[in-house]
Order: sequence, then C-alpha cells, then structure tokens
Amino acid sequence: MSGAAHSGAEAAVREAVPDVDALARGLADVDYLADEGLATALFFALRLPQPLLLEGEAGVGKTEAAKSLAAMLGTPLIRLQCYEGIDAAEALYEWNYPRQLLRIRIAEAQGGEIAEEDLFSAEYLIARPLLQAIRHPGPLPAVLLVDELDRADDDFEAFLLELLAEAGITIPELGTVRATHPPLVILTSNRTRDLHDALKRRCLYHWIDYPTPEREVEIVRRRVPHAARTLAVGVAGAVRRLRAAELQKPPGVAETIDWVAALTLLGVERLDAAAAGRTLGAVLKYREDQDAIRAAGLERLVADG
Amino acid sequence: MAERIDLPAFAAALGRELHAAGVPSTPEHAVRFARALALAPPADRDALYWTARTVFLSHHDQLEAFDRVFAAVFDGAGDPAGPRGDRNAPPLRGAEAGERRAPPGAAPLGTGAEGGAPPRAGLGGEAGREADEPERDVPVTAASAAERLADRDFAALDEQELRALRGLMREPALAPPPRLTRRARRDRRGDRLDVRATLRASHRTGGDPARRIMRRRTREPRRLVVICDVSGSMEHYTRAFLQFLHAAVGGAGAEAFVFATRLTRLTTALRARQPDLALERATAAARDWSGGTRIGESLQRFNDDHGRRGMARGAVVVILSDGWERGDPDVVAEQMRRLRRLAHRIVWVNPRRASSRFEPRVGGMAAALPYCDAFVSGHSMRALTEVAAAIAGNDTRRRGT
Repeated sequence: MSGAAHSGAEAAVREAVPDVDALARGLADVDYLADEGLATALFFALRLPQPLLLEGEAGVGKTEAAKSLAAMLGTPLIRLQCYEGIDAAEALYEWNYPRQLLRIRIAEAQGGEIAEEDLFSAEYLIARPLLQAIRHPGPLPAVLLVDELDRADDDFEAFLLELLAEAGITIPELGTVRATHPPLVILTSNRTRDLHDALKRRCLYHWIDYPTPEREVEIVRRRVPHAARTLAVGVAGAVRRLRAAELQKPPGVAETIDWVAALTLLGVERLDAAAAGRTLGAVLKYREDQDAIRAAGLERLVADG
Repeated sequence: MAERIDLPAFAAALGRELHAAGVPSTPEHAVRFARALALAPPADRDALYWTARTVFLSHHDQLEAFDRVFAAVFDGAGDPAGPRGDRNAPPLRGAEAGERRAPPGAAPLGTGAEGGAPPRAGLGGEAGREADEPERDVPVTAASAAERLADRDFAALDEQELRALRGLMREPALAPPPRLTRRARRDRRGDRLDVRATLRASHRTGGDPARRIMRRRTREPRRLVVICDVSGSMEHYTRAFLQFLHAAVGGAGAEAFVFATRLTRLTTALRARQPDLALERATAAARDWSGGTRIGESLQRFNDDHGRRGMARGAVVVILSDGWERGDPDVVAEQMRRLRRLAHRIVWVNPRRASSRFEPRVGGMAAALPYCDAFVSGHSMRALTEVAAAIAGNDTRRRGT
C-alpha cells in the first residue's frame, strides 16, 4: 500500500465534480438542495482537498450534507460519532481478542503451534471508522463524517489532526496503512467548546444557515413528495415564525420535514390552527415551547403572509 | 465599478485587512485562497465572497467582521482609480451586476458598524501601558498583604490593592468534584479486566492468562462555569470578580461569562496569562458594563446557546450576582429550574449577603434561591475560600441560607 495512486484519485474527482454548479446539481439529484455557499465549501473540500468544518444550529442539515455528498459520489459514508472519552481503539482499530483466544485454544486442543504473526493478521483486526476510511479502495474517496467533534476530548482532537495530516495509520503488529485515496473529511461541531486553533487552521469552514422559506418549500417537496404544495408553503411560513420566536429549541429543517410528513399522514392539505395544534409535537420538542406557542395563539402561527 | 478586479492584489488586501480586524489570516490561508481561486475562478461577487469566506473563516463569531472587511476591500479593489497593477488578472464577469449590495447572508446581521470586531485597541494599547507603568507585583509583600486584605470587602479596595490580590486569587484552588470518565487506566486494584494486556502477557506463560491485568475508570474534575453579573448594582465588585474569573479560567480551565443586559462569553479573552492584557480584552469584548440587569434573560441565553448544548451538563455552575432583577422574577425561576436540571451543582455568590441586614427578598434572588446548592457571599478574600469550598461541594450549607 502506498500513496502512488493519489494522482489517479484526483483525476477521478476532477471528472466527477468539474465545478461548483455541477456539484450543486449532483446534490440536487440525490434530493439535497445546497445553497451557493455550501456548494462552494463542499467543492473546495473535494478539490483542494481539505477537511471541511461545518457548523450551524441543530437540524440545518450538517450530517445530511455529508450523507448526500457520499450518495452523489457513490462512495460509502463512514461516520464517527464522537463522545466524551472516545479513544483510539474505538475510532481506529481493535484486535478481536475473543477470536484470537479461541484460535489459541483450538491450536492447543489440536496439539499444534501457532505463531504470533498468525494471530496478529488482518483476519483478527476489527477496523473502526478511521481505518475503514483510510483503507477505502477508491476510485473516488470515501466521505468520512466526524460528527460532533466538540464532544470528544482535546487529546482526541490532536490525535485526529495528526491522522489527517498523515493520511495513514501505523499498526505496530502489521505496519503502516497508507490511504491510496484519502477520504474527504467533514467535521461537525455544536460549539459546546472551542476547537483547537491548529485544527481550525487545517480546515475549511462553513456556517450553515436556516434555508430561506422558498428553499425550504423545495426541500420539503423533495423529501415528502406526496405532500400538497399549499401545505408545504404553509408549514414553511409557520416554521419561519417559530424560529423568530424565543424558543428553547427552534425547529430545524428535519423538524419541518417531520411536521409536513405528519400532517400529510392526517390528510391535511392546508395548515390551519386545528391541524397545527394536533401535530405540534412533531415540530416543538419542549413542553415549555409548546405552551408558549399555544399561549401566543395558533391562529397567528398559521396566518398567511 | 471596474469590470475586472485584480485578484492577487485583492487577496493580499483581504488577508491584511482581515488580520487587522482580528480574523486570523496566516500565509497558509493566503496559499489556500490562491489555489481556490485558480481551481474555480469566481464569476461574480457572490462566488468570490463564498470562496473567500470558506477559506478564511473559522468561527461563526468572525462572520460580522468578515462581511464588513470583504465589502470594504471589494469595493475598494473595484475602484479603477486605485493604484492596482496587473490588469491581466482573471476578469470578474458580471461584477457589474453584483453592484454594491451586501454579501449573501449578511443582511439579517444588520450593519457591520457595531459588529463583533475583536478588541484591536486593547491589543495595541497594551505595549504602551506596560512601559510607563512599573511592574507592581506581590511576592515580597504577599504574606502581609494576605493578612491585611483577607477580610476587607472588595468594594472598599482601591486599584493598587486589587492588583495586589491577583496572585492571591489563585490561592484558593478551585477543584470541582470529579466525575468518572469513559477512559480506563491500568490499576492493580482496578475493577475491569484488561483483556488486551492480559492476553499479551499470556504469551510469556505459554498462552495461559496466568496474570490478570486490571484497569480502573479514571476520574476527571467536572467542568466549571462562572457567570458574573457586571450590571450597575455590582459595579464595586466587578473588578475584583473579573480577576477571580481570570484566575478561574487560568487555574481551573473554567468557562467564563459576564452579563448585564446581555450575555458575553469571556473564556477566550481571559485565557491570556498576562492579567492586564486579559482584563483589557475582556473589557473590550463585553459591551454592557454597568448596564441594567436582566438575569433571567441572560440565564436563558446561557441555557439556550451553551448550557443545553452540553456546557452545563454535569458541570458546577457559579453565578456571581446580587440578584437585583429588573425583569420578571418568574423568568429567573424558570431558567434556574432549567439550569438545575442540567448542572451538577449551582453555587450562587452574592456579596450583599455579608451585610447583617441582608435578606434574600429581592425578586430575582428569592426566585433563584430554591435552585441553588450553595449560597455564599464571596465579598472578600476570606469569603472567596468559602466559594472554593462550595465549588468542591464540601460546605454544609445546602439550599439557601
């Protein structure tokens, strides 16, 4: 395994994504509508190539962007969900100890010998997300989504940084695994803590805003195809008002889609106060938020214009 | 506006101006920007905007400053009278259509005039002040200063005495109680079997795991969050408490916030080790010093933007405030209830508590007290050791007086 094929991957990527518009069209084909800013950011992440740090309110489609990019490229999405205390074994690789132990026992029972090299071979290696991404055979790079990096500890961040710079992993028992097609790395953060400057310096950055109401209608129509257009327009307007209100958890795009799906199940074609009241739980997940909106009047929430 | 724009000159000017506005811009950024421009020559102002933004931005807070600088540099670069060289640079077709409208996404942010540009003045003024102000430090007089100042009310201290307290502020070690982490370290008396190490050791004993190697979960101190009221009614304590915040950020890795009418996160500003520099940056970062008090709303901001996202989860939260609320006490109660559900402990520090006539009847204070685990005064150095004890969780006063 070597980095020799690197230039080949580049050519394949160049061909798949010649310019920003082509990327935006490709994403639209898999039903993800990216605005110019996001399309530009994803384009440079692929073509420079450079890891991309995505931030934004919960539910604006950070994870969805990575998924759609993978779907568009036809490569696997490899996801590493971070949490407090995540360590190399869970992110990189682990040896399959029970299986190794069993192998030793079998060898003993048969009176045979077993060499250490046999025990520490690829057969007994469990590849975790980072190793999977590095080992991806190509021709297009895999999309590696490192989700909610801010939840992991500082030292994990440093470790990740090193790995991204090297695009390779050294396994003492096996040797170094180099990426033939370095993965496209997308990091997301909810900003519970500031990420390290060194990491930020290596990354491109994009802040995803809530979509405009018109775009949100388009997104909903693609995700819930059998929903009535009048319903999608009404819901997008109501959601815009909800985001402007002082809520504990303003609804994201995911909630908009859920809400329209729920209303469509009920056979609603135009959002009115009664229908909104029955399905408010699909869009507001805190009791206090629901109380506040009901108190302000559902009529005002669903008003036209 | 000119039909073409000199991109190399534009890139250089943008990098320089961004740096001046406090958005970090390194040679690495410049190289990346040049490569990005070569990769996808921008067709119009929007495309150029998004390319530059993707490359230079690294934090949402920088957006306002970035938009302002971009607009200024772009309009300047488009000026045909400007002393720009290379007219053969890639032309910006449609630049004339872009006109001078605000960059996309900038509109809801309002004008950049009162934007969040980091405190440039604070950085610049520092060197000068250092020079003509002789270094006043405490080592020689530390012991006596400690004696003399320990019981004095912070409100009665002058500038010099406050400076003398800086070193002492670090004395009461702030140690939030520990929590179990997911990580485990090798420990002979541990409670989990380390299969990997045991198996490895078994190679020496012919494949039999003769020696068990154990691990134990490690412990780490909980996160400490300090939220300080800097409204008018707290004015006499603000300087001392800000020093305390600086000590907490430097010593215990705390997250620091201040509020009067709105909440400002000061962790980054206070991370500077130099106290003068840190306090100056902090002063520049928050804009509502000595304003009115909106405890409820500020706590809500904290809960919504930081607490709920994980900062307050399992943390020890210290609130320094006299509880004078201009707004609705019910909001304070509601937000304290939310915070209570997230945090491990809430410590309320109220310097007015030291007074013998004090009764927690003021609206905000009365509303908040039921949700506090400890209620201390923190009005002097000696009282600050009580705060440290309350943070560690080994005080006896639980829930109110």
